[in-house]
Amino acid sequence: MLHFFRHPTVRRIAQLGAGVIFLAAALPKIADLEAFSGSIHNFHMEPVVPMVLTNVLAVTIPWIELVAGLALIANVKPRAGAVVYTALMVLFTVAVVAALARGLSFDCGCFGKSDAANLGMKKLLENLGMVALGVIASLERRG
Amino acid sequence: MDRWWSDGTERGGVLWGGVVAIVATGAFLGVFQNALVRAGSKDEGLAWKYEAPKLQTLEEIQAQGSAGGATPPAPAPPADPNDPLGIPVGVTDIPDVGRPIEVTATKARELVDSKGAAIIDAREAADYAAGHIPGAVNLPFDEVITDPERLEAFDPAGKPILVYCGGVTCELSMKLGYELVRLGKKRVLVYTGGWPEWNDMGYPTVKGTAPEGA
Repeated sequence: MLHFFRHPTVRRIAQLGAGVIFLAAALPKIADLEAFSGSIHNFHMEPVVPMVLTNVLAVTIPWIELVAGLALIANVKPRAGAVVYTALMVLFTVAVVAALARGLSFDCGCFGKSDAANLGMKKLLENLGMVALGVIASLERRG
Repeated sequence: MDRWWSDGTERGGVLWGGVVAIVATGAFLGVFQNALVRAGSKDEGLAWKYEAPKLQTLEEIQAQGSAGGATPPAPAPPADPNDPLGIPVGVTDIPDVGRPIEVTATKARELVDSKGAAIIDAREAADYAAGHIPGAVNLPFDEVITDPERLEAFDPAGKPILVYCGGVTCELSMKLGYELVRLGKKRVLVYTGGWPEWNDMGYPTVKGTAPEGA
């Protein structure tokens, strides 16, 4: 099984997929930072991340997504790009789980404002799928 | 020897170097872009220090008003068919300030008891049916935010509008409050404690899909 996922073509496809996902996530956020800032606020992570940092995250996260997405697509440091993608995806998933566990319900803004779906199991499964994609994309190339 | 652009064989120090480079480049570009935008105009871009949007409470606004602030005087309350005197209790002191106003449980109770406000329950239909504040009309946030005509059609009959929802932070009611004001509704109040607080306090509730109960 792992052998299949290590196949260069499979990994490359996973990397392209992850790259496209990150570009699709980054561009609408960069276009409307204010909306993204509001979305971060909605997650109410202040027990872990101070509220005052909300805008710092809103300013930096989309651009990190953009650079990682471009690295994945352009095949420049793709493995590093895949590791960044996976790490961010894991953090987003943790934030979604924490929000769901506390009964918060809101539009997550994951892909900007067009993603008006409220947080729910669907979002969680979607996120887990995207984490799995990242893991495949991060697999080490042998030989 | 790894080439700088690598083709997916990077590992160890080179891999982590790449990770740091991507994060640092992204963070730098983000900060740079926002700084550039803010250098042009302070109103553009995001403030570095985040301040949560907060509603003013009715008490704060009334205190401003009595201190000679610019708050316009409250319009005359409308005739209420349920009140022979035509003046719902506790409604006369609610001004229209062009933005939503936060109210406490006590004030919400007063408005509900006197039927002095048109009440909107912004929660989902199932939650509403399981129990709501007497007289509240169900306008689920998810549905009406994408369908402003439904909100526009909501007629408070000249009364202030009281919005509430459920959940931990009840920010949907605040957003809905802003949306109502944007659509031209007057005297929009947000009961931020919402359903959880109302229910915990043992205030009257009704079940079912009708405002006054099934």
